[in-house]
Amino acid sequence: MTLASDTWYLFVRYLKKLIRNPILLFFSLFQPIIFLVLFTQLFSELSNFPGFLPDGVSYTQFATAGILLQNAFGSALQSGTSIVLDIDSGFLQKMLVTPMRRPAILLGRLTSDAFRVVVQSAIILGLSYALGGYVTTGIVGIILIFFTIAFFGLAWSGISLALGMKTRSSETVFAIGGFITFPLLFLSTALVPTKSLPTWISTASMFNPISYAVNAIRAFMITGFDWSTILQAWGVIALIAVVTLGATLYQFRKVVS
Amino acid sequence: MPDIITVKNLVLVYSDGTKAVDDISFNVKEGEFFGFLGPNGAGKSTTIKILTSLLRKTSGSVTVAGYDIDTDASAIRKIIGVQSQETTVDGDLTGRENLMLQGHFQQIESKKLKARVNELLKLVELESVADRRARNYSGGMKKRLDLATALVHDPKLLFLDEPTTGLDPQSRLAIWSYLQKLNKEKGTTIFLTTQYLEEADRLCQRLAIIDFGKIVTSGSPVELKREIGADAIKLAIDNCERDKPKAKELLKTLTDVTDVVDSGPEECLNVYAKNAGPLVADIVRAFDSVDIRLLSVTYSSPTLDDVFLQHTGRRIRVEDLVKAPSMMMGGRR
Repeated sequence: MTLASDTWYLFVRYLKKLIRNPILLFFSLFQPIIFLVLFTQLFSELSNFPGFLPDGVSYTQFATAGILLQNAFGSALQSGTSIVLDIDSGFLQKMLVTPMRRPAILLGRLTSDAFRVVVQSAIILGLSYALGGYVTTGIVGIILIFFTIAFFGLAWSGISLALGMKTRSSETVFAIGGFITFPLLFLSTALVPTKSLPTWISTASMFNPISYAVNAIRAFMITGFDWSTILQAWGVIALIAVVTLGATLYQFRKVVS
Repeated sequence: MPDIITVKNLVLVYSDGTKAVDDISFNVKEGEFFGFLGPNGAGKSTTIKILTSLLRKTSGSVTVAGYDIDTDASAIRKIIGVQSQETTVDGDLTGRENLMLQGHFQQIESKKLKARVNELLKLVELESVADRRARNYSGGMKKRLDLATALVHDPKLLFLDEPTTGLDPQSRLAIWSYLQKLNKEKGTTIFLTTQYLEEADRLCQRLAIIDFGKIVTSGSPVELKREIGADAIKLAIDNCERDKPKAKELLKTLTDVTDVVDSGPEECLNVYAKNAGPLVADIVRAFDSVDIRLLSVTYSSPTLDDVFLQHTGRRIRVEDLVKAPSMMMGGRR
């Protein structure tokens, strides 16, 4: 299977590149930690307000799902910059004149993104646990949380890869990524429960895919295996993945041929 | 030797309407060191991109090692090595890792690959820095590493797009010697593009001169220069007036001399010959035997620049090659 081995070698290449850039590594690991600590501290008083959160749920436990997705979203949006670098440096061409399997170029990137986001998520969950945000569904729930986040990350990586190949500019990818991250996060149930949201945001959050993913992770963490919420989330993510990865594939074909 | 590259009526028009390659035909034989010489923007890189399956041609036909570029690109990719004009090594990886990665893409079995990578590191003299990140290499080291990555699968056919552009004289000489070794010892066919006259002259057995997407002429460097005409040998003789008739008689008896004419008082005589190099010694010996004292002998042969000039009406103007390598190889005489 040359597709599998080509994907593996590129997966390793991307991880090496990440590990060998200490600044990049630092930010990709510490950014989620900072977000978790700051957000939970910022809202800790507010969450004591009666009725803001369901009974017996701490804000840390509540907000962890939102931080996990915010982090996954942020990571995924960097994906496109790597392909721009490979196009600009000529490394992509260098790969294309070899008999390597073309899809491995995308798969190597996507799998390393997924791996990275799972590691980051594990750190967030560990820290959250230390702050009192345990996962009620146990080890199976944790594995499914990782699966959901990796899947979510892949879907959004698609947007950034497609943008990267279309615009050939890392700055553009960063700018667009930064522009959409916070509105999407705040117009969702990631950090505040539905009933405490202003009406228009609560309406907007119903159309926001982040809300669905957050609700699924919150189910794993707080309410248990609520399959209708979970499957709904997976369905929404799958839909996004089809669109974004389809766009990526389309752009990739144009770049490769 | 059979052809390894056959190109017929190749045309490439970019989407903005630029005709980068305008109906060129040529062939490269197996084991040959073949070059495209031309100024920037002549269509050299575009041709390489078409031959290596990176760019789709507009029309014409291209076969590489018997495979059609449109239908059998994947078979072609297995036997070619390519070094592009930009140096493309991954700076985050070490030299060794760069080579291993390319080897994996070429589907070389791990054990064999390790040995091959060591061999290549030795060839391009990067053994001592093999496990350092390529980011910290000098320009010449990166270029050598890049060349090595193109050789990892021992390709039958090697494409080099301006392999020494921007390099210092030492690195340039080093790369020239690897390439000659590769061509002679392994029989690797090499297709090279260059804008340097000396490079084409020294390395290529046969070359095509390309300008504005068209091949203006082709042949071996010697043939091309010969088409220009004869070499001129200028002789300054001590007692010119007295010895001139004797000298003329003597020169006419030497084989290969095509013409002997009087020149100004400073130089005395001009001798024309197809190939002046070997003749100089003969002249010196002949004059010595009859006690004609030579003050100086200078000769000039046409350069590829003269060839380019004759065919296009212009000279190839690139930044001057640093003088050191051209003196060492005695290129411009």
